[in-house]
Amino acid sequence: MNPPAFSVRDLGVTFATRRGPVTALSGIDLDLHPGTVHVVIGESGSGKSVLAHALLDLLPRNVTLRGSRHLGAEDLAAADARRWREVRARHLAFIPQSPMSALNPVRRVGPLLVELARARGVARSAAWPAVAAALRSVDLDPERIRSSYPHHLSGGMAQRVVTSLALVGSPQVVIADEPTSGLDADLIDRTAGHLANLAERGAALLVITHDLTLAQRLGGTTSVLYASQLLERRHTGALFDSPAHPYVVALLDARPERGGRPIPGMPPELTALPGHCVFAARCTRVRAECRREVPALHPLDDGGVRCVLHAGVQQGVG
Amino acid sequence: MTTLAPAPPRFARLREVATRPTSVLIAGGVLAALVLAALGADLLRPADGIALDRVLAPPSLEHPFGTDETGRDVLALSLRAMRVSFAISLLAASVALLIGVTIGVLAGTLGGWVDGLLMRIVDFFGSQNHFLFAILLVVLFRPVLGAAAAVCLSVGLSHWLVLARIVRGELLSLRERPFVAAAVGGGASRARLVVRHFLPHLGPSVAVAMVLLLPHAIFHESALSFLGLGLPPHQASLGNLIAAGQRSMLAGAWWISVFPGLLILAACVAFGTLGEYWRDRHQPRWRGELEL
Amino acid sequence: MTEASGASCTPASSRGWDEVLSAAAVSRGYGHGRGRIEVLSRVSLDVRPGERVALCGPSGSGKSTLGRILALLDPPDEGEVVLDGEPVRATGLRLPRTVRQQVALLWQSPRTAADPRLALAALVTEPLRSGGRRHRPPPAAIEAALAARCAQVGLAEELWGRYPHEVSEGQLQRACLARTLIARPAYLIYDEPTSMLDVSTQAALLEIIAAEQRDRAMGVLLITHDRTLASHWCDRSVELAGVASQVAPEPLLQ
Repeated sequence: MNPPAFSVRDLGVTFATRRGPVTALSGIDLDLHPGTVHVVIGESGSGKSVLAHALLDLLPRNVTLRGSRHLGAEDLAAADARRWREVRARHLAFIPQSPMSALNPVRRVGPLLVELARARGVARSAAWPAVAAALRSVDLDPERIRSSYPHHLSGGMAQRVVTSLALVGSPQVVIADEPTSGLDADLIDRTAGHLANLAERGAALLVITHDLTLAQRLGGTTSVLYASQLLERRHTGALFDSPAHPYVVALLDARPERGGRPIPGMPPELTALPGHCVFAARCTRVRAECRREVPALHPLDDGGVRCVLHAGVQQGVG
Repeated sequence: MTTLAPAPPRFARLREVATRPTSVLIAGGVLAALVLAALGADLLRPADGIALDRVLAPPSLEHPFGTDETGRDVLALSLRAMRVSFAISLLAASVALLIGVTIGVLAGTLGGWVDGLLMRIVDFFGSQNHFLFAILLVVLFRPVLGAAAAVCLSVGLSHWLVLARIVRGELLSLRERPFVAAAVGGGASRARLVVRHFLPHLGPSVAVAMVLLLPHAIFHESALSFLGLGLPPHQASLGNLIAAGQRSMLAGAWWISVFPGLLILAACVAFGTLGEYWRDRHQPRWRGELEL
Repeated sequence: MTEASGASCTPASSRGWDEVLSAAAVSRGYGHGRGRIEVLSRVSLDVRPGERVALCGPSGSGKSTLGRILALLDPPDEGEVVLDGEPVRATGLRLPRTVRQQVALLWQSPRTAADPRLALAALVTEPLRSGGRRHRPPPAAIEAALAARCAQVGLAEELWGRYPHEVSEGQLQRACLARTLIARPAYLIYDEPTSMLDVSTQAALLEIIAAEQRDRAMGVLLITHDRTLASHWCDRSVELAGVASQVAPEPLLQ
């Protein structure tokens, strides 16, 4: 296995707010390998967006960050603001949630993309050809896009423009935050295809989403976040076929095709996380030991599951 | 991420203030000093009477702004005049606010021909020279309402246009937002929409506009008073003082006109700096409308 | 068909045979002259009390436009909307309040559908207080309705005083659902339930709507691109692609 393009160990993020400290992430380990897709699933408030921002070092000032982040072999704890800007420009690409907000409304798309390409380190003469090639790979006509303003583009087209940008300059890591929110079924499928394409070209792709269908379509490895913690990480196919953690089982059962049964109760407030398993309050298989401490991430099938039910068990049984 | 609104740690507000540009901090300080001086005029510099032994004395330690042709302390006169100027300008700006917001809300919420008609009226008045218009109004209202009220009305009626345009503009974009449609679907009447949903959203823009309106008002009131069309001498504002000092200029006593003039300048620049900074931070769209 | 479609049961209230929300040959376009786009062209659609209808189609096919027309917010260029036997001649503010409250729209994105300056309690009770002094129920009744609806949607009391930016998307959408239901609409139009929320919250909201349907025989129109959801939750679906056609949904094969 190649060394990871980006890796994170024991990442914890806490916000200082008026209502007390908010734990957005705790104890997250993540390895992003070149040419692979890693999907992070979670509901709103689970911490998945914070994870994306933590990897890009785009968190606000009232944040305490624990753990380590490595770009290849480089420990980013030593990186200053300038180094981070370089990292974000050259090595990391970010596909934001709403493409319209990523495109400057008063500039034509062509020059804007060229400028972003140059910031990535592409030489001036090679900039437009690189952008054009990227646009063609998402089935857009470069000449038509070049002179358009962002508001001339439909939502789907804007999403493709922003996705194609991730190809320019060959960044090692691409982070996509909810790339399909607000898109229709046909566009979701196409976007999934374009994202998989990114991985095929060698980037390490991290996709953050709440859309289970997209996750299943993308394949790769899936991590499930809940109330700031990583509950399960498995190969996507295995996770969907035979989920291990009771939360993941319940989540998959909430899909309309499985009966649409919602998980009763609500996730815990991030200001008041229990000192034990975060899912215990809503778990149908809860035991006494679940309320003693936070379970360790027990290995399972090349991945892990944070549940006492799987302590010492190697096969994945839902 | 929106659930995690960052809270200010200790003294963050102070720290935030300290990071603002120096010009803004200076403007804030100057303005605070002027306002405090105006309010505390009686304490700081008790009015003295006529003293014919100190006629037209140049600025000194005892009389920092010198004395006028009857020996009165110009600093004392200036502070009181500044108080009058601020008060009148505030009233005038309030008149402008009332009229401007009303017209803007009517145009923005009723739309259609009402909007068209009101905007044509705004355009018409906007194309006139608003100072000449102010003079006309003052001359009309003076015999009926008295000088102070006439000045307030005159400045107010010549300055409401900008507010109307801003309010209407904000409403046009506000109207399209889904929560307005949701309120309509829930059965809200037009009046309720305006009071409950629109006005609270207009607050910040209107506040910024008001702050930028004040220097205009001060300037105009001073100009009207300078021309003799404003306040009477016993309620002298800074404009009156400048006019009164004109005669003494020929005798070489420059301080009677210049210091009140500097106070007007300081107040206008201070308000303007703060207002523009606030506008650029919160409502940069209105840069074209709210120029000083 | 799964048991989720058990909504086609006898309505609890006594409602007549002409009780239906329908669009009759509705057309609507945007722009003028050469730039004109005809988004909807002579589309007809019915929603009956207690029924669950899905409105599907690719992006740009006019689903949301049709949803707004049926919600009595926008007028059609041609054709008309008929509510319980009466053609609806006006839209939006020109309609009497009681008629407007008959059809409620639940928006796709709760953040834009909630006034950021209102706390959740004010948000939820807004439809009750929108009638001015004469039609407003007494404060005790409003409090009771707030408590009942929040319990129904699963919104804990400690959240009532919070502002939209202080709660999660899921909680905010629950508040919006409470607001939608508090006026007891005869018809509910739900625009894109799946795009912004996670699966469990979606399922929870649909369950609440289903329960309300059993109670009051509310008609529901689900506007969605997710055909899986449409086929499992709705009784029938209507496909928009220029010409509306009616299709009985089939469960997707595995």
